[in-house]
Amino acid sequence: VIAAAGVATAVPSILTAGSATGAAEHKASVRAESPTLSGPPSDDLVAHIRDLGTGEIGLYTGEQEVVFHDQELAARLFNASR
Amino acid sequence: LSSHREAPEISKDQVADSADLYAFISPDNPSTVTIIANYVPLQLPDGGPNFYEFGDDVLYAINVDNTGDGTANISYHFRFTNKITNSKTFLYNTGPITDLNDSTWVRRQYVTVTRIENGKTQTLGTNLPCPPCNIGPLSTPNYASLAAAAIHPLPGGGQVFAGQRADGFYVDLGAIFDLGDLRPFEQDHATFGLTNTGLGAMAAGVNSTAGSNVHSIAIQIPISQLAKSGTAPTNASSPSSVIGVWTTASRQKARVLQASKGTNVESGPWVQVSRLGNPLVNEVIVPMATKDYWNAQSPSGDSQFAPAVLNPELAQLLPVLYPGVFPNLNAYNSAAPKRSDLLAIFLTGIPSGVVAGFQNSMSTTEADMLRLNVAIPPTTSNPSNLGLIGKDAAGFPNGRRVFDDVVTIELRALAGATIPLVDPKFTPDAAASTVTDGLTSGPSDLTADGTESYLPSFPYLGLPHSGFAAAG
Repeated sequence: VIAAAGVATAVPSILTAGSATGAAEHKASVRAESPTLSGPPSDDLVAHIRDLGTGEIGLYTGEQEVVFHDQELAARLFNASR
Repeated sequence: LSSHREAPEISKDQVADSADLYAFISPDNPSTVTIIANYVPLQLPDGGPNFYEFGDDVLYAINVDNTGDGTANISYHFRFTNKITNSKTFLYNTGPITDLNDSTWVRRQYVTVTRIENGKTQTLGTNLPCPPCNIGPLSTPNYASLAAAAIHPLPGGGQVFAGQRADGFYVDLGAIFDLGDLRPFEQDHATFGLTNTGLGAMAAGVNSTAGSNVHSIAIQIPISQLAKSGTAPTNASSPSSVIGVWTTASRQKARVLQASKGTNVESGPWVQVSRLGNPLVNEVIVPMATKDYWNAQSPSGDSQFAPAVLNPELAQLLPVLYPGVFPNLNAYNSAAPKRSDLLAIFLTGIPSGVVAGFQNSMSTTEADMLRLNVAIPPTTSNPSNLGLIGKDAAGFPNGRRVFDDVVTIELRALAGATIPLVDPKFTPDAAASTVTDGLTSGPSDLTADGTESYLPSFPYLGLPHSGFAAAG
């Protein structure tokens, strides 16, 4: 499953769309597992849901790749594509 | 071909397809090494109005290993940008292009060159103009001067050129891939029992690349900037006098097509999609099922491909295709051969003690790189297009010059001509020293059909064939 072209703005809104507690957990999870984005600024962000079961998502921006795990976000994106 | 369209995936991606790689001591400037990486192969010179160019979404690299571990100590990166100067026309040019700033030139390309060494990046040139394609006598009336203006000096010495050139590689592709029917030897071919094929008489080879163009990235670099020691080596017997060279092309991991905008989104890390060190390795040594995988790998991992080098399919086929012509090779093949001669030529370099007075090996690491002993001077008098097997140590597989007949050299090596280097008991078949695809008149012939335009100075490959001249 590949989510792109608009996911850049959708990801933050999804992260903050759930309960306050849940959203905080997602953010913490992302911060804990992902390196900080750096490099040339880019308006484009491509998300690749690699594994719905583990919630593994790859984010491509600029010349970087960030991998994180968020089962709920992966499920939401997948459901949004159906 | 050498590496033109050599793997299934890259054959669908012409701008990222590495076709040939050359590395040699510059004959007219022997304190420098010239490296040429050809891309965008098999161009029809008249292929307008969207004439050929490098990919502005491709990262091209020339990599140099000077320690022998199969990883790059130095890399030169080349990125291209395009500019359209007139949004109202469908034409590549609206009048004669007389210089690189001519307002009539609509679709232009620029190259930015960076050098990466030990994690440090140095920009050598930014947005250096590339020449236009050679369209014809009205559009590019003085093409030689346009091309010359696109040769740019580099800080610290050396020069760079990126643009269209005549393809200097020569091969009888039609014969080789019609089940190995080498025209000079077709009277000996088994023909698979087919009759009335129209074959059966000796004939000269046909150069499949004659008249076609490529896009070349050519860079000339002081030896001292490439050698491990930081100075120009003088001891040809020292492993530290050897460098290994290969070229790669990479694309970003994600691509999203945006039909409404007419532009695409490329994002993420670079993923290697093309690789070339020694000519013909991925083409005729690596099995088709693993060619795409090979293209994505680093030379440092090439031990995984060593079995295909040690017992190459083509060496097994020659005695079958030409019954009775290669009896000694056939017998050698039957004894579970381990072609350590080919392993040295392609993967480790030739160590000292194998060829008298010669070596081009840094280590025993199996890595497909074009190895060049930079302490061996260029051969300026009577060079042999057969390189080392022609007793010319300045030629392939000691690097590769533009005129080296790498197809014949490798055919003869595969046929067993180089086995005695590692197994003196073996006697090569007589045909092993004569087999060829028939495109030169002999070892001293440096002008195979379609390649007569080699230049004596940088960038050495000839001016591209004109589109107007090619039409019709």
